[in-house]
Amino acid sequence: MGLFLDIVSWVLLLSGSFFAVVGALGVIRMPDLFTRLHAAGVTDTMGAGLILVGLMFQGGMSLVTVKLFMVLGFLWFSSPVSTYALSRATLASGQEPFWSEDMEIPDTARIPGMVYPVDATAEGD
Amino acid sequence: MSDQVILRVAVKIIVPMILLYALYVQFHGDFGPGGGFQAGVIFAAGIILYGLVFGLRRAQKVFPTWVARLMAASGVLLYAGVGIASLLLGGRYLDYSVLAHDPHHGQHYGILLVELGVMITVCGVMITIFYFFAARGRETL
Amino acid sequence: MELFINFTLLALLAVTALGVLHVTNLFAAVMLAGIYSFLSAGLFTVMDAVDVAFTEAAVGAGISTVLMLATLALVGSKVTTPEFRIESISVKGRSRRPLLPIVVVVFTGGILAYGTLDMPGYGDPDNPVHQHVAPHYLEESGHEIGIPNVVTSVLASYRGYDTMGETTVVFTAAVGVMILLSALRRRDSYGEEAWGDEVIDDMDVGFKDAFGETMDPGLAGPEREGPEGGGG
Repeated sequence: MGLFLDIVSWVLLLSGSFFAVVGALGVIRMPDLFTRLHAAGVTDTMGAGLILVGLMFQGGMSLVTVKLFMVLGFLWFSSPVSTYALSRATLASGQEPFWSEDMEIPDTARIPGMVYPVDATAEGD
Repeated sequence: MSDQVILRVAVKIIVPMILLYALYVQFHGDFGPGGGFQAGVIFAAGIILYGLVFGLRRAQKVFPTWVARLMAASGVLLYAGVGIASLLLGGRYLDYSVLAHDPHHGQHYGILLVELGVMITVCGVMITIFYFFAARGRETL
Repeated sequence: MELFINFTLLALLAVTALGVLHVTNLFAAVMLAGIYSFLSAGLFTVMDAVDVAFTEAAVGAGISTVLMLATLALVGSKVTTPEFRIESISVKGRSRRPLLPIVVVVFTGGILAYGTLDMPGYGDPDNPVHQHVAPHYLEESGHEIGIPNVVTSVLASYRGYDTMGETTVVFTAAVGVMILLSALRRRDSYGEEAWGDEVIDDMDVGFKDAFGETMDPGLAGPEREGPEGGGG
């Protein structure tokens, strides 16, 4: 039983580390802030989540596991909020995402005040 | 366009936990990592987060500037006062063993009061500095 | 294995420090300074100094970054190189490569690094540091003071006088900031002090540039551009 728990926790830790590396690679290689935030979200959810669950297995049934659970809860609560605040600040400061030029954007998805290239190219015709 | 709702709701839930965690760190400094400095900084961080999201005026209504300045000074006063109390009770300055009937209990009381003084000062100082930075809106000096 | 972790953390620290110097946008420099604090907190944890790591993470990566961002909101985040105009000659400040300071710095650093070769090993129990009061604190703290955390007992009881000096220093820093940055105070119509109220609108503009939204949304700040409607 001890060996089984050890193996499970090692698998979780290694896969969590893999997702963290994937997230970091995405942050470097993505072209735009919004896509980079999307990649960093992988590190926050899967990376941190799997690593902390793997550590919970190492901790056993003790107070440490409860504390790790609370850490995970706070992390999953606060990181989407910070992603939202960061992207909102970027939009408000004027930087626009990389839009593709022939994408159809429905009316419900338009952000008021934003100029989309598809409208500009449509006008230019 | 009030999509500040997300930030406000999240901060409303998180800030009480931050303040509670600061008190936990303060009082468990005897048994684990922690103590006055960390607790003061975490408490101030909670109030600063509230001020960043809800506005400086509301933060100053909750935690007025005169309270922060008073806290900055009274923490040092508490610390020095513990030393004076030890002098008055017969020991040397900041000798906690004379504070209670038993040296062990005296040390416990002394460390508790002293760490409380440190936390009060650090919290007051951080919030004072933040209020001063945030209230100053000039481009150049 | 621990050596590998130490090497990685120290290398990342060096890279981050070089990044802070190299980056021209002040916002990125502030973020890199926060990363530096966070990495040094990790280094302290690996060295088993958990209290110090806790304080470093809270102060360096938390409060210090927030205060520097507040400063940036007031100052702006571009670094401009100064231009010296001497009559008709204008020389950009950055194009001179001073040779003497770098020689002095490299020489001094080299001598210091050579001096550390003589120091005793890290964590060696025969160190002179570990011979006088450290064994006394570690051995006697349990039954003299009776609390499990030796760091707190050393900080608050054995070296309580030093901690009082530290607390006074923190208080003095606050007094210094209060004197240097005393915002304009005025009395409103009821004779009560209004604390820097009149400058909050300017602060809102700077804050909005930095953070994307106003500090106090209930204020009637400078008018934002209304929705233009889609391009059609």
